[in-house]
Amino acid sequence: MSNKQHTYDAIVIGSGISGGWAAKEFTEKGLKTLVLERGRDVKHLIDYPTTNKYPYEFEHRGELTLAIRKENPVVSKCYAFREDAMHFFVKDKEHPYVQEKPFDWIRGYQVGGKSLLWARQTQRWSDLDFEGPLRDDFAVDWPIRHKDLDSWYSYVEKFAGISGNKDGLAQLPDGDFLPAFPLNAVEDYFKKTLNEKYSGRHVISSRCAHLSQPRQIHFDQGRGKCQNRNLCQRGCPFGGYFSSNASTLPWAAKTGNLTLKPFSVVESVIYDEKLGRASGVRVVDTNTKEVTEYFARVIFVNAAAINTNLILLNSTSSRFPNGLGNDSGVLGKYVAFHNYSARISAEYDGLKEFTTDGRNPSDGGYIPRFRNLLKQETNFKRGYAAGFSAYRSPEKDTSGMGADLKAQLLNKNLGPWQVGSHMMGETIPKASNYVKLDKHKKDEWGIPQLRISVDYDDNDAKMKKDYLEQMTEMFTAAGFKNIKPNDGSQAPGLDIHEMGGARMGHDPKTSVLNKWNQMHDCKNVFVTDGACMTSTSTQNPSLTYMALTARAVDYAVQSMKKGEL
Amino acid sequence: MNRRLAIKQVLIFAGGMALLPSCLREEGKVSIQLQHLDISATQEKLLAEIAELIIPKTDTSGAKDLNLHLFVLKMLDDCYDTKDQEQFMKGLKSFEGLEGNALKEQVMAANNEKPGLSKEIGDFYSIMKSRTIGGYLNSKYVMSKLLIWELVPGRYNGYFPVKTT
Repeated sequence: MSNKQHTYDAIVIGSGISGGWAAKEFTEKGLKTLVLERGRDVKHLIDYPTTNKYPYEFEHRGELTLAIRKENPVVSKCYAFREDAMHFFVKDKEHPYVQEKPFDWIRGYQVGGKSLLWARQTQRWSDLDFEGPLRDDFAVDWPIRHKDLDSWYSYVEKFAGISGNKDGLAQLPDGDFLPAFPLNAVEDYFKKTLNEKYSGRHVISSRCAHLSQPRQIHFDQGRGKCQNRNLCQRGCPFGGYFSSNASTLPWAAKTGNLTLKPFSVVESVIYDEKLGRASGVRVVDTNTKEVTEYFARVIFVNAAAINTNLILLNSTSSRFPNGLGNDSGVLGKYVAFHNYSARISAEYDGLKEFTTDGRNPSDGGYIPRFRNLLKQETNFKRGYAAGFSAYRSPEKDTSGMGADLKAQLLNKNLGPWQVGSHMMGETIPKASNYVKLDKHKKDEWGIPQLRISVDYDDNDAKMKKDYLEQMTEMFTAAGFKNIKPNDGSQAPGLDIHEMGGARMGHDPKTSVLNKWNQMHDCKNVFVTDGACMTSTSTQNPSLTYMALTARAVDYAVQSMKKGEL
Repeated sequence: MNRRLAIKQVLIFAGGMALLPSCLREEGKVSIQLQHLDISATQEKLLAEIAELIIPKTDTSGAKDLNLHLFVLKMLDDCYDTKDQEQFMKGLKSFEGLEGNALKEQVMAANNEKPGLSKEIGDFYSIMKSRTIGGYLNSKYVMSKLLIWELVPGRYNGYFPVKTT
C-alpha cells in the first residue's frame, strides 16, 4: 500500500480515557483521525459478556482460581480482577516488564482501555494543587493554573456526565454537575461531626462519572440513567458511567472521520530529520507481527502513562538519541503515583433506625485534602484526600450448624453501621522514580521491555502515619467504636494512578511538554495522558486528562489552521 | 473411551439420552469433572451428608437439594493448593464409615472444635463449612427466593427506615 493510504490528519495512540477524548475532538473538528489500539476491539453493549450475569452464574462465584492467581501474581492483586471482569485486564505474562523495585502495573489492553474499569471518581484540581510544586519546592512549576482548564473542565463534565454537589470548597472547584448521589445517614452524621469539631474538614458526596440524571447530550450518545448496579467493571448495558466505549468513541465514529485500528501496538514515533518534526508512527500488528507505518501532521500519545513513556523512550533518531523530545533528559523520570496503602474501619452504634436501600455507585463520601492546604503545617509535604463510606449488613453468627446456622444465614437483622476510609496521598515526583528501557529484553513484538523503578519515600511514610492518626481521632470524635487502623502495604502501581515521566513545565531544559501538552522539542507531538503530569495532587486524575486533552486538541487544530504545525 | 462409547450407543439405541450424565461416569467415581482431586462415589455421598448436617432441609431447601457438596468440591479442586487438598482428604478420612448419629456427632465435634481432634479434621471442616455456606448464600435458590439479590436496583436511599418489630 502507498503512503497516501496510510496518511491521516491526526494519529491518536491509545483509546482509553484520554485517547477517546482526543478522537472525539479531532473528528468533530473535521480531521481524519486514526486511533491505534494495541488490544482487541470492545464494542459498547456487544462485548460485555458478563454484564447481565447473576453471581451464581459464575463458575467460582466471582473468585479467581488458584491457577489464575499463580499465573498472575501482579494483576491478581487488583480489586477488580475477578471472575466477572478478568477478560478486561492484561495477564502478567502477556506483557512482561522488569521490576527494579516492586511495582504492580495494572493494564487494560482493549478498545476503551482502563476507561471500562476505572473507579469513576472525578474531581477538579484547584490552584492549591497546581501551585504545589512551586510553593513546596519540588518537581517544577506547573505551566498552567485552574483558570486555564476551567472552561475545559466544564466542557468535558457536560459531555461525560459528572454527578456532584456544588460544595463551594477552595480546594475542590465546583463543576458543571448532574445531581449528586446523596450521603447516607452515617456519612451525613460524620460530615456534621467534622463541621462541628474541626475547621476546614469536610465530607462531600463523591463526585463521579455517573449519569444520575441524564441530559439530552447523554441520550444523544445512546446512554441512559445509571441504574445503581455497581457492576461497572463488566461494562454497563445502560451506558450509566463514562467510558470511551460508551461515549467518546461512538461519538467520534458518527462523524465519519474516525479510523480505529485494534491489535496495533505502536513501536515508535517516526521523526523526520529533514522536516524537523514527527511524521508518523511505526505499528506492529499484534497478531501477524507485520510492521506498518502511518503518517499524520499531528500525533497524540495517549497510551497510558507508563506505555507513553515506553513509546517515547523507544522513539530514537539521530536528532533524539535518548527518546523523542528528550533534550532535557527528564523523559521517564519523575514518575509518581497516589499512596493508597492505608485504610481504617470502625463501627457505629447509633442511627439504627436507618439503613441503605439500593446501591450507591459514587462510593459514598469524599474527604478533600485538609493537610498543609494553605500553608506548611506538618512534618511532611502535601497531604491526602480520603474516601469515607458507611453501610449496614445483617449480622450472621456462623458458629453453629444445622437449622440454627441456616436461620442465622437467612436472618435479615441488621448489625451496627460499618464505616471505612482509605487514603489517597500525594507523592512527590523524584528523578530516582523512573522507567527506562531494558537494553536486552524485548516483548513478543520486538519492543524493549520496561524497567520500572518506583518506590515510596519517607514523606509517604510520615503522611500515612498522619492519615491514620487523624482518621482515628476523627472517628473517635464521632463516637465510632472498634476502630481498626490498617497500615497496609501495597506496591506502587496498584493505585492505578501512575503519572509523570513526560512532565509539563515552562522550561524545555527541565520538562518535556509545554503548557499545551505539546513537546517543547517536537511541536507536532502531544501527550495528554498521565505521563504529562508534573505533580499528582490527591485528586483522581482522569477528569484532568479529559480536560487537558480537549484543550490540547483545540490548540493543535488552531495551530494547524495557522500553518504552525 | 471405547467402553464409554459402547455404553453411549446402547443408551442411544434404548432412547435413554436423558440418563447419560449419571450412567456415563466411571463406576465408583465422583459425578462431576475434577482436575486434581480423586473422589469416590462413596466419599461424594458422605460429603453430601456432611453438607446436609451443616445446612439441612427445613421448610426451605437444604444442602443436598442445592448440591452444595459439589460446589465445595469444585472450589476445592480449582481454588486451593495441593497441600490444602491433601489436608482436606486426610480430614475427610476420619468421617468415612460413619453415618446417622455417629456422623452427626463427629461433625458436631468438628464444628465445636472439640479438644483432641486432629488438625486435618479442623482443616477439612473449615473448608467444608465455609464453602458450603458460600455456595448456599450464592445459590440461585437463595438469591432469588430467600435473600433477593437485584441485578438492576435502579435506586439508592441512604435513609431507608428500618422496620422495628
